[in-house]
Amino acid sequence: MTALFIFGLLIVLMLTGMPISIALGLTVLTFLYTMTQVPIEAVALKLFTGIENFEIMAIPFFILAGNFLTHGGVAKRMINFATSMVGHWYGGLGLAGVVACALFAAISGSSPATVVAIGSIVLPAMVRQGFPKRFGAGVITTSGALGILIPPSIVMVIFAVATGGSIATDPEGKRVLSASVGQLFMAGVVPGILLASMLGMTTFYRAWKNNYPRMPKATWSQRVRAFRESVWGLLLIVIVLGGIYAGLFTPTEAAAMSAVYAFVVAVFVYRDMTLRDVPRVLLGSANMSAMILYIVTNAVLFSFLMTHEQIPQQMTNWVTSSGLTWIEFLLFVNLLLLVAGNVMEPSSIVLITAPILFPVAVKLGVHPVHLGILMTVNMEVGLCHPPVGLNLYVASGIARMGITELTIAVWPWLVTMLVFLAMVTYVPEMSLWLPRLLGMI
Amino acid sequence: MLRILDRLEEILIATLIGAATLLIFVAVVHRYASGVPFLYPFTHRIHLSWAQELCIYMFVWMAKFGAAYGVRTGIHVGVDVVVNQLGDTLRRKVVLFSLACGALFTFVVGTMGAKFVIALMGTDQVSPDLELPSWLVYACIPLGSYLMCFRFLQVALSFWRTGHLPHHDETRVEGIELEPPPEAVR
Repeated sequence: MTALFIFGLLIVLMLTGMPISIALGLTVLTFLYTMTQVPIEAVALKLFTGIENFEIMAIPFFILAGNFLTHGGVAKRMINFATSMVGHWYGGLGLAGVVACALFAAISGSSPATVVAIGSIVLPAMVRQGFPKRFGAGVITTSGALGILIPPSIVMVIFAVATGGSIATDPEGKRVLSASVGQLFMAGVVPGILLASMLGMTTFYRAWKNNYPRMPKATWSQRVRAFRESVWGLLLIVIVLGGIYAGLFTPTEAAAMSAVYAFVVAVFVYRDMTLRDVPRVLLGSANMSAMILYIVTNAVLFSFLMTHEQIPQQMTNWVTSSGLTWIEFLLFVNLLLLVAGNVMEPSSIVLITAPILFPVAVKLGVHPVHLGILMTVNMEVGLCHPPVGLNLYVASGIARMGITELTIAVWPWLVTMLVFLAMVTYVPEMSLWLPRLLGMI
Repeated sequence: MLRILDRLEEILIATLIGAATLLIFVAVVHRYASGVPFLYPFTHRIHLSWAQELCIYMFVWMAKFGAAYGVRTGIHVGVDVVVNQLGDTLRRKVVLFSLACGALFTFVVGTMGAKFVIALMGTDQVSPDLELPSWLVYACIPLGSYLMCFRFLQVALSFWRTGHLPHHDETRVEGIELEPPPEAVR
């Protein structure tokens, strides 16, 4: 009953189009003033302590690092490198587009920015070479979403934060700790590479069947030169993953180091920007980070309310008593997240749903890291999913195609992503193998 | 007057994020430099154990004031699928309602925060590492929230007058110039 009231109010408020953070906060306030005796002072304290957590601070640092390197010059270097490596295969530039998107998305961390940066260079080039526009638009729209899965990933940090305080027990009743940022990053590596390969194979197959143009094979010296130019950007991923794995930094420190590194590369190595551009990048990053941190603050309030009303426990009891297996439950999770992915942006979805889904999933024997990766992949699919995926909108602007036409263009890759989602959901080892091999879980 | 406030807001948040990044970078470098015997005489005199706490406070302040700045730039997104389907007059009402809700929420939070801070001023509570007075640290809640409330009212007023909402463009990438849309074929 309480749960129905809370979620009903939240959904009504969200549908008016107000910011999600405000909708969350107002729901909590309304509930507290009308239905319970929780002291309001406790809430005021939560507003501050909600983000008083060093782990969350990785988010602004990663955003800053990404913004320094979200630049057309970096995109061009990634495209040159990708083209020199895979351009001579079937699918040529299309295949290079997938690889370039994966690399650029990983360091910039923003899907729409990737679609714009890579798409606006690769797409016209593909059309000039004689590829149909639909083919190019399909490749870029879906590959642009790869960034969420390939570490460093802000959505994974948010998942770790959102489930951080939950009390969850496995089927035997033992306490299960939530997934750490380091574990999630490492777990994202194999699925990230696999999804990029699957999107590449779809591109390759369709290009081979239709005999689309290929590029001349690059010589090894060209390849080495392209690699040397792009390696500065790619090293960012190495610093983050290597630093966390080797125990040199905590994830937040790794994020701060990567921000400083990105600044040095952008200003002194690549010289894409001058020192005078730096304040603008700082301001833009602060703007974006503050927006996400504001949602986090209010989502913490919201999950405080839910815990107080024992909604996650009730859900868990209800699911276990109804005899649902983990297979059915994860199917439900996927459907829920795909629907949500259509209307909300990834960080809000994870912040609202993860605290509820986490205890239930763990009770049914799902590994926390597996759940995190699964939710991340869902966020990715949601971005390219008609009717209102964000990447679709951005790509339709660049390719000058209507959403309906683009939806048709995207479907072979979208189906590939859905197949991949099913694999990630039902083959936990895909996510758990690498962190287990490295002894992290 | 308002332009000065705008500039101050921008300078404050940009400085905070930049300074926090440098601070953590220096703290990490310092930790590793301390391990080098040769540098020990220089590093052991500097203690940076407070860096983490200061970084958190800087980011909390940045988050509160940045959220207010975000209202002005229109970065706080909501679910606009339904609203955009509505007819003009109804849409106008719903948008004004949602902006009013934003102002109401931030006002309530600001007032709660102000009461909390005033209560803290009577005590001599300090933060664990830096030993800053707690009320100073928490002052960002009322200040940031009231500023955000003001920004919501500002946006509502300009929407009421002109029908325009600030809109954040997520797709701008430096160094990429999108060609202007081709002229429609007649």
